[in-house]
Amino acid sequence: MLHRSLIGATLLAALAMPAGGARASDDAKYPDWTGQWERFAVRGLGGQPSHDQTKPWGFGQQAPLTPEYQAVLAASIADQANGGLGNFPTTLGRAAGMPNMMMAFGPLELIITPETTYVLIGWHDHYRRIFTDGRDWPAEIEPTYSGYSIGRWIDEGGGGRYDVLQVETRGFKGPRAYDETGLPLHFDNQSIFKERIYRDKADPNILHDEITTIDHALTHPWTVDKRYVHNPDPRPEWREFYTTEDNAQIAVGKENYFLSADGLLMPTKKNQAPPDLRYFKQPRK
Amino acid sequence: MLDRSPSGALAVALISVTMTMAMTIGRAQAFDEGKYPTTWKGQWVRVVHPEIEIEGAVFQGGFDQTKHWGIEQEAPLTPEYRKVLEDSMKDQAEGGLGNYPNAQCLPSGMPRMMTFGSHEYVITPETTYILLSGSDHLRRIFTDGRDWPQKPQPTYGGYSIGRWIDRDGTGRYNVLLSETRYFKGPRAYDATGLPLAFDNQSIFMERFFMDKDDPDILHDLTTVIDNALTRPWTSDRQFRRVSEKVVQWPETWCQESNANVVIGKENYFLRTDGLLMPTKRNQAAPDLRYFNRLRQ
Repeated sequence: MLHRSLIGATLLAALAMPAGGARASDDAKYPDWTGQWERFAVRGLGGQPSHDQTKPWGFGQQAPLTPEYQAVLAASIADQANGGLGNFPTTLGRAAGMPNMMMAFGPLELIITPETTYVLIGWHDHYRRIFTDGRDWPAEIEPTYSGYSIGRWIDEGGGGRYDVLQVETRGFKGPRAYDETGLPLHFDNQSIFKERIYRDKADPNILHDEITTIDHALTHPWTVDKRYVHNPDPRPEWREFYTTEDNAQIAVGKENYFLSADGLLMPTKKNQAPPDLRYFKQPRK
Repeated sequence: MLDRSPSGALAVALISVTMTMAMTIGRAQAFDEGKYPTTWKGQWVRVVHPEIEIEGAVFQGGFDQTKHWGIEQEAPLTPEYRKVLEDSMKDQAEGGLGNYPNAQCLPSGMPRMMTFGSHEYVITPETTYILLSGSDHLRRIFTDGRDWPQKPQPTYGGYSIGRWIDRDGTGRYNVLLSETRYFKGPRAYDATGLPLAFDNQSIFMERFFMDKDDPDILHDLTTVIDNALTRPWTSDRQFRRVSEKVVQWPETWCQESNANVVIGKENYFLRTDGLLMPTKRNQAAPDLRYFNRLRQ
């Protein structure tokens, strides 16, 4: 039986709740994506990590490339088989850019703030900023390898908490490739990426990044579901990786060479000519 | 009128306890959120003293921002490492890279990673992240109460453990203390190759705090303890906020258009026509013994 005294007690207690309760619920709007996220590895695929994680790299991706860019891929793979770098200058230590930077060669970390979601990469590429502060596209975008990302949180599950981050990314420079075979994005750098990032509803240890690529090297938009696995260690190790460290690839002009263990130049291709040394006065040894 | 029946009293007690707990949790969470600084947002660049940095090369910052780079930093180097610096500057004057591997686009590491470009502070209770814009990626300063790892992997950025303090007793943290250890190298303070000890046993003690008079100045009071020094060396490194809301952050990649090529122990230069050229007078061409074709 409810008594007025009970109602009174309840009212008193409610009035005594600090305004901080409202602030707490604002912070509770965002999902918990803290921790370390490692690439979801599909065993038995062979090769190096791929854009569509369920298929092997290169030709195995079955990317919907135009005939022109199928030829770019074929030429890239042939050049690499012959000792060249193909269409993958990241080998020299350059940034990979989107979408390769989401490969998770090294584990990712996502930091969510109301204004920005940061994706910390720390591999060929440093990090991404996904602006969620309601901004519009700037009138001019300085092209970058990572692009310019604007995101929007949605509560798809209707639970009063955001659970999906929608992202659009534009404004690129290049060259960029999907994977190490040099699977190409168009050289016009007009790529647009649309992403949906969310935690798997059935398995919260899985984070999805559904990436749709709109690019002139493709015959139609290409969507893949990249997954990442949560590392349960609350204090994981964060490795530091720099492509420029111990990188034996040397590019001189349009040719790539290799540094041997004794620090001397060596060819990477059969019968490759040495670099032109016309600007040196000393005779070649 | 209070219900004196046992069930009524129990109900009131239960509700009161529940509400109190909710208030406590809510209040604690609100208080936690109010503990951390909110004024460190935005884009920060190092304070440049135009009367100090060389005219026409204002980007060549030093560890001590109030002094010229190199020897004029007056770093308390041991005689051995003063010679390393002198040799480095002499080599650079003759076209070499000196003790400055960053010219090959290797990461700077501490402390130079805090010198150039812009950076951003992202503060969470467990970690303060410093996002950098140069050759180095970012820093993580762990503030979750952890102890030093038992088998740390040496890195250029080091391993940082920090602690927030409420210096002024306002109930809000305003100073971040940080200690950083476990390095790899080589690292130099600046582009002259001012050296840290090659044993990579450096320790950095830092105090980050906002300037009391200028809300757009952030101090990073840094003390280096290093075996190349005769004593700890402290510098008040200052950063100016460029903007709180940034439309576009810069992206810089050393590897892009870097014309330095290192082959063995020699550094060469790539001309605009893509051909190698010497950087020093009478520099020998690279040894091409592994190529079996005659020079054209």
